[in-house]
Amino acid sequence: MELMNNVKIKSKNLNVYYGEKQALFDVNLDLNEKEVTALIGPSGCGKSTFIRCINRMNDVIDICKVSGNIEIDGVEINDKNLDVVSLRERVGMVFQKPNPFPKSIYDNISYGPKIHGKGETKSELDEIVENSLKKAALWEEVKDRLDEPGTGLSGGQQQRLCIARAISVNPEVILMDEPCSALDPIATAKIEELIDELKKTYTIVIVTHSMAQAVRVSQKTGFFHLGKLIEVGKTEKIFKNPDNKMTQDYITGRFG
Amino acid sequence: MNFVLIFLITIFSLSLFFYGRSKTKSISIEKNIKLNALPKFYGYYLVLWCSIPSLVFLLIWTLFEPVIIKSIIIETAANQGAIFNDKNEANLIYEKIKAIYAGTYFGDIDTILKESALSYAKFINLFTNSKIVLIFGIVIASVIYSLKKIKNNNKARDDVEVILKGLLFASSLIAILTTLGIIFSLLFESIKFFSVINIFDYLFGTNWSPQRAFVSDASAITAAEYDELKDAFGFIPLIAGTSFIAFIAMLVAVPIGLFSGIYMAEYASVKIRRISKPIIEILAGIPTVVYGFFAALTVGPFFRQIGENLGLTVSSESALAAGLIMGIMIIPYVSSLSDDVINSVPQSLRDGSYAVGATKSETIKKVVIPAALPGIIGSVLLAVSRAIGETMIVVMAAGLAANLTINPLESTTTITTQIVMILVGDQEFDSPKTQSAFALGLTLFIATLVLNYIAQRAVKKYREKYD
Repeated sequence: MELMNNVKIKSKNLNVYYGEKQALFDVNLDLNEKEVTALIGPSGCGKSTFIRCINRMNDVIDICKVSGNIEIDGVEINDKNLDVVSLRERVGMVFQKPNPFPKSIYDNISYGPKIHGKGETKSELDEIVENSLKKAALWEEVKDRLDEPGTGLSGGQQQRLCIARAISVNPEVILMDEPCSALDPIATAKIEELIDELKKTYTIVIVTHSMAQAVRVSQKTGFFHLGKLIEVGKTEKIFKNPDNKMTQDYITGRFG
Repeated sequence: MNFVLIFLITIFSLSLFFYGRSKTKSISIEKNIKLNALPKFYGYYLVLWCSIPSLVFLLIWTLFEPVIIKSIIIETAANQGAIFNDKNEANLIYEKIKAIYAGTYFGDIDTILKESALSYAKFINLFTNSKIVLIFGIVIASVIYSLKKIKNNNKARDDVEVILKGLLFASSLIAILTTLGIIFSLLFESIKFFSVINIFDYLFGTNWSPQRAFVSDASAITAAEYDELKDAFGFIPLIAGTSFIAFIAMLVAVPIGLFSGIYMAEYASVKIRRISKPIIEILAGIPTVVYGFFAALTVGPFFRQIGENLGLTVSSESALAAGLIMGIMIIPYVSSLSDDVINSVPQSLRDGSYAVGATKSETIKKVVIPAALPGIIGSVLLAVSRAIGETMIVVMAAGLAANLTINPLESTTTITTQIVMILVGDQEFDSPKTQSAFALGLTLFIATLVLNYIAQRAVKKYREKYD
């Protein structure tokens, strides 16, 4: 049995409220470095809310209040004085629906580095763009048409472009919010392959509705239900021999 | 007479509604058959059949009656020995005859006029009587026809649908025909103008002074007169003045409107938005004449005062005052349109930008605005066409002299102002001066049409991308 990696992200008693409604209840979850953690659960159970706490995307929503602690490498990030810009440089995110900017492929990738003042010369920037696209397994498909609009790519390519965009600022963590839900099976397979490759470098958290996908890509799985983390453990164990009856019911498709 | 007829037709057809409804009900009970439509549809069917043919007939009759009577009367007058050399004199005699009939003519009445007036009275009577008879005939015929139909249990619902569709079609046809009519009248008058003034003299002339354009006989312009005329209708100063004032207006309206649009869409809380958006839109509801006297009586003199203090000569009717006020008037157009397009940029693009660590202003500058740009350009173009067509403010505040100038402190004039100046007061409709207003109108129409077309294309292209 291989050793568990170091803990990268640690949440303690995390509570989230949207206005009056509480969306997360005392979530305590550790995410390991250079590993894929899958979060599963029925719609509206708080999986997405949880990962949006890790890069403070919930700040964008006025009525959203977060209490409790999240640490990355032992540093508290749920802190008013924390610099959100540098946090998001370290924690990238890929969304449910591919959302490339209506700009060229090149500009889509160079956007992040420019914002953080990386790649001051054209050749440095070129290198970042090329590396990011290579890591996202998109380089071969688009290297001859970097100046074409990113919105002109196919859905799967767009999603890999968004992954490349997330990689471009050289993050440590990548959050993926149902990255394949808008894609066909072939594009999904490519993304999953890519996730396998990316976990060598990055800590990955993926929200998914597909049990099969969770089994294929993740090492650790957390099951959420109605805002509570019901069970977390090695993926193999969660799917073969869960401790909790509710987890058992969910993964066997008795509710969802 | 017509009102009485319309009233009678309306009352009669409304009562037919109740008759048709109860009649079909009793038929279905008597014969124990299932009706093809609800009873009320048979009522509608009768109403429509009773009213539409007779009203349409009445309309057509009313349109053509005066024309026909006029031609008959003029002909009988001529047969009786009345002398007229052209159409105008014939019209004059006809008006006299009408006035005698109405008892409002106080000149000398000779035998010809008297005879004609008598035959006019005869024809009026004849026409009115035959109108009434025909209308009753039509009403009776169409009611008999439709009653027979409903007794045979026709598909009244489908028929009513078809008739209603026809009515709606006729309404839109009227709107379209009106538009076409306006365009053609502009076009024909302009063609008359351009048959006198060379179109190139008009388009590229640098001097506009139509008050100089006196001609003794518009149908025969001498060479000497033409030399004078062709320098009087130069379009360049007007388009320059118009563009200049519109440019000043856009300098005011675009930044303020766009920035307030961005604030409303991106920064304002729901509460602030709910209060301030209607307030900004009130600006759009202020009548332009109010802006006009504000510009002419407050802003213009204010600028002149400041200019005097600085040692500058500022005309009290300046392009600057007119442009500034026009810009303020246009702010709500730019702000609410750009607010809308910015709002329709998908949130996912903003999320994507925040997720790589961009701040709000970076996101707006580099993602939201570029994505909304076609729509913003569209809104600006709509505002420009609005500025070019604006009349009241410039009439009151920009001045009348067609100076070719780029000094915003001097007075200048616009196309719309000149149209107003040419057409107020008494006009002879065949002089090149009057016709030039139509040429200006046509030019203005084409300019705003092109701008609107481009603007709508830009907005549409943008919509396609995200919807």
